[in-house]
Order: sequence, then structure tokens, then C-alpha cells
Amino acid sequence: MSQEEPMLPDDEDDKRLMGLVAGGDDDALRLLVHRHHARLVGYLRGEVGSQATAEELAMEVFIRLHRAAARWRPEAKLSTYLIHIARNLVLNEWRRRGRKPTTALEFAPEPGDVSQGSARRVAELDEAFQRAILQLAPEQRTAILLVVQQELPYEEIAEIMDAPVSSVKTWIHRARARLRELLKDFHDQA
Amino acid sequence: MDKPEQTPFDQELAAALRRGRAVAVAGFAERVVGAVRADRRRRAVVRWSSALAAAAAVFVALFTLPAASEEALNRQTFALVARDESAQLADLFGAADDLSLLAPVAERPALVETFVAPGS
Repeated sequence: MSQEEPMLPDDEDDKRLMGLVAGGDDDALRLLVHRHHARLVGYLRGEVGSQATAEELAMEVFIRLHRAAARWRPEAKLSTYLIHIARNLVLNEWRRRGRKPTTALEFAPEPGDVSQGSARRVAELDEAFQRAILQLAPEQRTAILLVVQQELPYEEIAEIMDAPVSSVKTWIHRARARLRELLKDFHDQA
Repeated sequence: MDKPEQTPFDQELAAALRRGRAVAVAGFAERVVGAVRADRRRRAVVRWSSALAAAAAVFVALFTLPAASEEALNRQTFALVARDESAQLADLFGAADDLSLLAPVAERPALVETFVAPGS
């Protein structure tokens, strides 16, 4: 690929890169992965509670993206499509293993974003929220992660979850209520 | 996008979740490209194996199966003739041959009696 191509918005550039990926261009695939993997792994880690599983699933998402590249039609944003694949993989994973997400979290705050004095408190808070998230029903967990963590609009979440917007809003409302209930003790202690 | 007003709890939830929003993994793109190349090779092998298996099946169907069935049919025919199973079956039921079963019941002509009786 040329180094002097004009700058395109990410969505448009994603479409261009997908065309190249369909033609077997590994550099284009590398760019797409580089652009999208961090948020995908972040979302998957929220879903499964394990960094290693999140990375495995993210890898599988990109393999499937590559297989589907020739058939892909840019009706939705690529990031939406990736999370849609990721969510299906998560559901299959639980179905296959017949179990729910692990509660053994491997979570640590990003270094440098908080002072040393409050780092422990932040880590505890994050872990408490993550642990509570994993106790939610699957639809509630996905919806709350997509709206709060990934900051996606309701319409996009509805598209990802193959559900009406009204259902998405209900799941989010219930998820918030359940999280308040689950974290009540933690907040009382704090 | 209509989102509810943020309570302190919602703000804490958002802060906690957004800290894990993006998790960059060093060397992840290279790992993906490696996995995709392996997947591409594996699928090529599967595709070629399927094509070879189909070609082999066609070869067998075109050249092997008809020859074998013709030969087998001949063998069966010769074996039947040699063993004369129909005759054995007729003997078993006490009939001389198929024709005797099918022949109309009629008295032998006198001339036949004359020639057959002394010698038989």
C-alpha cells in the first residue's frame, strides 16, 4: 500500500481496507487489527472477565472477519460488525462450555492514570464493578458494557444485539438497578 | 441519544468501566496476521483435499466400478450355468424340468408309446 494516500475518516478507510483484505492484503488486515483490537479486547474482557480468553476471542473475531471479507457489505460500521461477531462468539463460548463467565478477574487500572495514593481504591472499585457486571444476565451485561463502556448509541446496540431499541433500554435499566443492588454493600463500606 | 441523567453511582460505574474500555495488546496485529495465514493454508489444504477426493471418486466411478460390475455379472452367469441351479431346484421339487411343469397334461400318442416303452 502507498504511504502517501489521502487521510480518510476511519469508517471510510475501514471500507477501503476491507476491500484490500478481501484481496489478500495482509498489511491492510494489520492496520485494521491495529485500529480496532484494543476496544474489542476491552469489550470482550468485560464480557468474560479474563484477559487471556478475551484475546483468544478477539483473535477469532479477526479470523472470521478475514474469512467474510469478500462477502462483507459496508451496511454498518466495521466496529459494529466486529462487536456483533464478538458477541456471538461469547454466546457460543458459554453454550459450548456450559458455564458462565469467570469471576476470577485479572483486572488492574491503567498505569499512570491515577495517583499512587488512590490507586488501590480505584483498583478495588474497578474490580467490584467488574465482578458485579459478570453476575448480570447476558443481555444486561452486553447492553450495559456497550452503552457505558463503549459509549455506543442505543440504535447501534440494538443492531449488534439483534433486538429492538426498547429491549436494549429495558436491559440497561435493569442492569443499573441490579448493579446498584450488588454494589450496595461496597458503597456502604466506602 | 437520550441517556438518563447521571447519578453519582452512574458516574462511578462509567468511570470504572471506561478505564477498561480499550486494552491495547502489544504485537496483537502480528499474531492475528500469523493466525490468518495459518487459517488460509489450512483452508487451502481442505479445499485441495476435497477436490482430490472428488476426483478420485469420479475416477473410480468411471473406470473401476463398471468393469467390476460387468465382470461380476459374467462370473455370476457362468456360475449359474455351471451349477445349473434351476435344474437342481426342479429336482428338489420332483419335477423333471421346467417344461414338464408348463406342458399341458395330455396322453402320449400311441406311436411314442411304441418307441419309448421297450427301451425305457
